[in-house]
Order: sequence, then structure tokens, then C-alpha cells
Amino acid sequence: MASVKKYAAIYVVLLVLAAGKFVFFELDQVFGYWDAFTGVMALAVAKTALIMWYYQHLNEEPRSITYLVLGSYFLVLLLAAAATFSITSGVY
Amino acid sequence: MSELPPKSSVKRWLVTTNHKDIGILYTVTALFFLVFGGILALLIRAQLWGDLGDGRLMSGLAYNEAVTAHGLVMVFWFLSPFAFAFANYLVPLQIGADDLAFPRLNALSFWLYAFSGVLLGISFFQGGTLDAGWTIYAPLNLPAYTPSIGSTTAILALFMFVVGVTASTMNFLVTIHHSRAEGMGLMDMPLFTWSILLTVWMMLFAFATLLAVGLILASDRIFGSLFFDATTEGGSLLWGHLFWFFGHPEVYIVFFPALGVMFEVFQSFSGRRIVGRKWVIAALILIAVQSFLVWMHHMFLTTINLEIKTLMMALTIGISLPFDLIVFALIYTLIKGRIRYTTPFLYSFGALFFIVVGGITGVFLGAIVLDYEFRGTYWVVAHFHYIMFGGATALFGGLYYWFPKMTGRMYNELWGKLQFAVFFVGFNLVYFSMFAAWETPRRVFEYVEAMTPIHRVGTVGAFILAFSFLMMFYIFAHALRHGEKVGDNPWDYTRTTEWAVPSPPPLENWEGRPSFEGGSLNFVSKATDGGHASAHDHEGHADHASIWPFAISVSMLVLLLGLSGLTVWNGREITGVSTGYAAVTAIGTVAFLGSMLQFGREGFSAPQPAVAERWPFEGMDKNKLGTWFFIASDIMVFGAFITAAIFIRFEAGWTTWQPVTDSIYGLVNTFILLTSSFAVVLALVYARRGSKKGTMAAIGATMFLGLSFMAVKAVEWHEKFFIDGVSWATNVQYTTYFMTTGLHALHVLLGLMIAAWLIFRTKEGAYMDDDRPIELFGIYWHFVDIVWVFLFPLFYLF
Ligand code: HEM
Ligand SMILES: [Cu+2]
Repeated sequence: MASVKKYAAIYVVLLVLAAGKFVFFELDQVFGYWDAFTGVMALAVAKTALIMWYYQHLNEEPRSITYLVLGSYFLVLLLAAAATFSITSGVY
Repeated sequence: MSELPPKSSVKRWLVTTNHKDIGILYTVTALFFLVFGGILALLIRAQLWGDLGDGRLMSGLAYNEAVTAHGLVMVFWFLSPFAFAFANYLVPLQIGADDLAFPRLNALSFWLYAFSGVLLGISFFQGGTLDAGWTIYAPLNLPAYTPSIGSTTAILALFMFVVGVTASTMNFLVTIHHSRAEGMGLMDMPLFTWSILLTVWMMLFAFATLLAVGLILASDRIFGSLFFDATTEGGSLLWGHLFWFFGHPEVYIVFFPALGVMFEVFQSFSGRRIVGRKWVIAALILIAVQSFLVWMHHMFLTTINLEIKTLMMALTIGISLPFDLIVFALIYTLIKGRIRYTTPFLYSFGALFFIVVGGITGVFLGAIVLDYEFRGTYWVVAHFHYIMFGGATALFGGLYYWFPKMTGRMYNELWGKLQFAVFFVGFNLVYFSMFAAWETPRRVFEYVEAMTPIHRVGTVGAFILAFSFLMMFYIFAHALRHGEKVGDNPWDYTRTTEWAVPSPPPLENWEGRPSFEGGSLNFVSKATDGGHASAHDHEGHADHASIWPFAISVSMLVLLLGLSGLTVWNGREITGVSTGYAAVTAIGTVAFLGSMLQFGREGFSAPQPAVAERWPFEGMDKNKLGTWFFIASDIMVFGAFITAAIFIRFEAGWTTWQPVTDSIYGLVNTFILLTSSFAVVLALVYARRGSKKGTMAAIGATMFLGLSFMAVKAVEWHEKFFIDGVSWATNVQYTTYFMTTGLHALHVLLGLMIAAWLIFRTKEGAYMDDDRPIELFGIYWHFVDIVWVFLFPLFYLF
């Protein structure tokens, strides 16, 4: 277990990242739609990593738990990506 | 709590949580469903006979119902549970454990299974059961095409079944990874246990997807959401993807345990170890991974693009390679061994023959151009029966093999062989004739005149096959009464631990603690083992009885039965609510919540072993490990909902959609949930410091924030319903928004209930020296937060 101070610092970072998501879409003169999209996804991944690593204490568990969860995420990504790709019009 | 009544008492079987009792319950129940599905099969074959003088046996609709129910019953209610009967009975024995990790949860899985089957039976009497085929393709699965209430009930029955399966999956994963006796490394495990381990790993991901599919379809059918809406092609492709993402792994899920039985039986009756054991295990692992990469070979005749079809074709052919390796290992084991032709061996050998035929014909189907011809014909029906019924064949061999262990008596070997001969002949008559008549369209009972003789051969074969099962039941019934008593090990050569204990084994399996240290089985006496006990180890004895799994399952049946007819449809729209069904729903809900609460309050001790092999999850508490498996499967559930949302939007043209709601709601709720996560962290910190007040305050803050989240949500939805006048039934975009965020809100609600319980318990003084429950709650709550991290952009920003 880390100190309360450290948890609080992570909490602040999470708040900032969350606000960042919103900002991407507010500044639509600066960021195009897909830039904002990519930026938001990157922030979401960063937030997830922080929450899992420190708040859910994956840093203190056997590494296999991390792989287990990554396995689930990978399969979701596979399903979503392959299914969506399958209805793009192919080359042929 | 209470003591376990003797086996002669009915009550024993309602309250037992012991893995061997539950294994027997599974065996009997699965065989019951075999008979049920078998009678449906005979009806199908009778219909295929042709005109019976005054027309066919059944109406077209009745035939469709028979075909659908046959498929569902055999795949879900017979085959898998039959395999898990053996898994329940044998896995703890093979790894040197006392029981499964969570015995009471195991009983719950069984009763959910049994009563989900009852629910399926009820569906026949609600205007007819589902008639859309076991693949339940969209849009046939919608009330517009399958309007009977029974159709909805069948889907809810499947959902209930899957809930039980999901619990069982996590139970086996934790058991095999957490309770292996000393010296039983993963690579030392018997091959049957290996096959079950890989099966449950596949199930963890595949069945979670099916759970989501069931929820989505139920929401379409009961609440009128539009995921699989009949008006777009996207709806039916979405079903194809979600169903087959589960469905292809599923075919290996039903098949692996059968392979496991074959390994054991081939070893025992050839008198030697499986040749290339390590390579066989590697091949099994490879197949388990690959099984998630080929699902679109079931969609070659849809409009998905040729690139992805070609990729799927290559991967499908790739998956047959490790499969070949296993077949050759089995054959080579026989060549090198000295075979004893017992009934279990004959069954396993027959299974090998069947799966080779089924595998070869499957490779044909995996080639796109050939599949264009074969798809939707009897070729496919023959293929998968050779494979899946071939798997069941191995399991029947397993029943003969372990019958003496489970009952303490021997069956009549000569009768067994005779029975196998009748079975083998009947099987090939039914299914080989299907290859001969392969041009017959599948699921259609009319065919060209010239095929009549072939189909009649099949029908005759079906009745011979059915007769062989009557023989089998007689053989076992006779053996139960008059069979010769057997000792620990009736077979000459065995390699696994279940044969080292009496038949049947005593309630707690072992005298002393089993250990495989040094390569062979030893028992460490309990008295001299004191030094090993760790702080986590509970003292005292294990409980073996609880009525609450039974009660929960009955009340869930009532609840789902109520839901099935809750909303009244006219063709396409919901027109009202049925008061009768609403009353049933209400009764079911109250009973369900009440029995869940009792389940939670009951003190039930299931000690975890102090000494055990736990790779690769060393040093973890079993409850925490179980929680993580639960999270992994919940990720898949949300993943399926999110996939649906992305897929439907992409099909509609991604940028033609704008968020349907003001992003400020999402942003506020993001901050609220993040703060609540921080509060949960503080709760654990205070609990570790032993501060009761601090812990209660922190959990209280979490609850307050969770309720605030729900309040914001209420405002947001109120605006939608009452100001904008929209709902999930407005269009498919609203469907994805309401249903995905709704599922998340349900998770928040569940979290709030747990939090309330924790505060109550903390007040009573719990958790000050054991804060693990608070930690587990935190893991869950943070997960709910993480889901929101993705839902917020998906529905409020993009
Ligand atoms: C070498 C191994 C295998 C290959 C290459 C293979 C290939 C295929 C393909 C391509 C199809 C789709 C055919 C179509 O609908 O047109 C199919 C259908 C099917 N296969 Fe296999 N398969 C194999 C093994 C298995 C196994 C091990 C099982 C089950 C234990 C199985 C069960 C099924 C089932 C149930 C269907 C029909 C699904 C439906 O109702 O539409 N297959 N197989
Ligand atoms: Cu497949």
C-alpha cells in the first residue's frame, strides 16, 4: 500500500486527464475530429492504466493478473476491430 | 451450516455442496436432457421419413421448434453439463483437493442449470418455443418473426443457463490454479484435468460474450430496444459476429473434455503414457488460443469482405494442424501400447474414428469456395454431428470408465460391448447417410424424391441409436443393484489419483493431506502437519450443506418467467404490460433478492488449503483470484455491448451520428466516479489502520458519490424521456446509448448495495483485522469506474 499522499496525487492526475478529454472536443478550432478522437482514447488508456495499477493494486499482485486483464481487453479489441473491418468494402 | 443428511434422503440432494454429489446430480440431469433432446431428434427423423399416409407428422412450425429445441438442448443442456459432471467429480480428486474452491457457488451453478432446463421446458407451453434454429440468427430472433412468449422464455432460459456456467467457470479456474496439492505442478496434471483447465479458460471469455448476447437479445425482445433491428443488414451481421465469437470457441469447449476422457482411457487401456504428452498439451493450448481467431468461417456466405474471409480461411486451416498432432499422438499411443478391449476403450476408439471423419469434412467447409456449395446443407449437419456427437461418444466411454469409481460397482462388460456395437451401427447409419444425401437443404424437411431411400436409412438408424441408449440405461441400472463390488482400482493400469482412494471416495476425499512431492502420491498425516498452517487458514471443519443455491435458482426461474411475458407486443411494437406476468415478476424479484441476502448472510466455511501449488497466481487469496476472474469476464460483457455500439455506428456511417446527450452530464459524472474511487482507496487505508470511524466515513462517502452519480443520471434520462420524448425504442442510436449506460448504471447500483452491506458490517466491528472484503469491493468499484472512462467519450463526446 502506498501513502495517502501518493493516492491523492494520482487522484489529481486522473481529474486532469478527465478534464483533458473534454477539452479536446471543446477546442474544435485546434483539433480536427479524428485528432480529438485519438487524443481522448490515449487519455482513456492512460487513466485506465493508472487506476488499475495503483488503485486496484495490480502493482502488488502477481504479474499474471495483469496479463489476465490484458487478455480480456485484447479480445474485446479484436472483436470490435475485426467485426468493424469486416464490413468495410474490400479491395476486390 | 447444518450437517449433510445421508444419501438415501432426498434432502441430501437438495442441499449438498460436495463436488462428488454435484457431479452425480450433473450426470443424472444431463442424461435426462439427452433423453429430452433425443425424443426431439426422433420426431425430426420421423418427419424426414416422408408422408405418413395422411401428411407429415408435424406442422412446419412444430418442426422448426423441434429442430431448434433439439439443437439448444443437446449443445447446452446435455453435452457441456455431461462433461462437467466428470469435471466436478474428478478434477478435485485428480489434483489432490478436498473440493472445488467455492462449493456453495458450485451448487448454485448446478441448480441454475437444472432450473434453466425447466424454464426451457415451460417455454413449449407458452404459445410454442423458439423456432429460429439453435444459432438464433437475427432478425428471426425478434418478436416480429418469432412472436410467441415461449420464444422469449427460451432465450431467458439460455441466459439463466449461462449465468450458472459463468459461475462454474470461475470456480474451476480458481480451483485448478489455487488448490493443487503440493508437488502437482501444472505440467504434472492429468490430461483430463488439463483439458478441463483449457476448457474453462476458453469459457471465461466465450461465455461472457454469450451472456452479453443474451442480455442484448432479451432487451430487444422484452423492452423493445433495437440492437438487432430487422430493418438494417447491420443487425443480422452484428448477431453473426457476437454469436460466432462465442460459437466457434464453444465447439472446442464441448469437445476438449471429450478429448480429455480419451487421453485417460487410451492411457489406461493401452498401458502406457500418451506419446508426446508435452506436445499434446502445447497443441491443446494452441487450439484454445486459435479458437478465438476463426469465428467468421461461419459467415462465409454473408456480405463481409473477401479479405477477412480469406484470412479466416487460412486461420481455420491452421487450426487443424495442432488437431492433427493430437490425433497422431493418440494413434501412436495405441500402436506402442498393449490394448485391452474394454467398453470404455471401444467408446474412445469409436470417438477417435468419428472425430477424424468430422475433422476432415470440416476442413472442406473451411475453404471458402467449397463452403459456398456446402453451407446450409446436410454436409454441415453431418460434419458437426460427427464431431460433437463424436465428442459425446468419448464421454459415454467416460461414463463406463468412471462408473465403478462413482458407484463402487462394476457393469457387465459383455453387455457393454454389445451395447457399443449397436450404438456404433446406429450412429453411422444416421450420420453417414447425411453425407450421402448432403444436397438436402438443412433445417428443411422437404427434399427431392430420389433422396427418400437414403433419408429412410437415416431414420431407421436413429431408432437403432435410440435403442442402444435404452440398453445403456438398463446396463447401468442393473449394475447399480447387482454389479460386482469393486475396490479402489478395478482397472489394471491407471495413472491418476482418483484410483488411489475407495470407490466411491469418502466425503472429504483423503485421510491426511495428499502430496505429490517427489513424483508420487503420499499422504501427510493431519496431525504432523501443524507447522504448515498459515495466518489465512481457517480453523475448524468445512460445511457441506446449504439450501440457498436451490432457493436462488427457483426464484430466478420465477423472475425470468415473469419477464418473458411482461410486455405485450403487436407485431412490431410494445402495446402494454401484462398484469399477470408483472405479478409473477414481482414475486420472483422479491424471492430472488431475499434468497440472495440469505446466501450472503449464511456462515459457510470452505477452508482454503494452506499448502498448495498456485502457479501462476502464487500468494493470492482465493476470493481475490475469483474477483479478478469475474472482472475479466465482465470486461467481455461490456466489450460486447461496446462492440455492438461501435459496429452499428460504423455501419450507419460513423460521423453521421452526434452524441445524443449533453456532454456536461458525462463530465460531471466522470468527476463524481473518480472521486468515489479515491474514497474507496481511503476506506482500505483506514481499515488497515484499524480505524472503524474512518472506514465507515470513507465507504459512506463512496455511497454518497455513487448516489450522486445515479441522481445525475436520473436528471439526464428524465430529460430524454419527458422533454425530448425519446427512449431506447426511438432508434438504434438511442438503443446503444440507453442500454450500454443502463448496464453500467446497474453495476453502480449493485456496488451501492454492497457498500451498504459493508457499512453495516463495519459498524458491527468486522473488517478491522480482516480487510479483504473491502479490498475486493474496491477492485469491483474501480472497475465500474474504468468502464465509465470509455463510456464517457463513446456516448458523450464522439
Ligand atoms: C479441423 C477442425 C474443424 C474445422 C476446419 C471446422 C470447420 C467448420 C466450418 C468452416 C463450419 C461452417 C460451415 C458452414 O456453416 O457452412 C463448421 C460448422 C460447424 N462446426 Fe466445425 N470445424 C472443425 C471442427 C469442429 C469441432 C471440433 C466442432 C465441435 C466439437 C465443430 C462443430 C461445428 C458446428 C456445430 C458447426 C455448425 C454450426 C451451425 O449450426 O451453423 N467443428 N465447421
Ligand atoms: Cu467454427
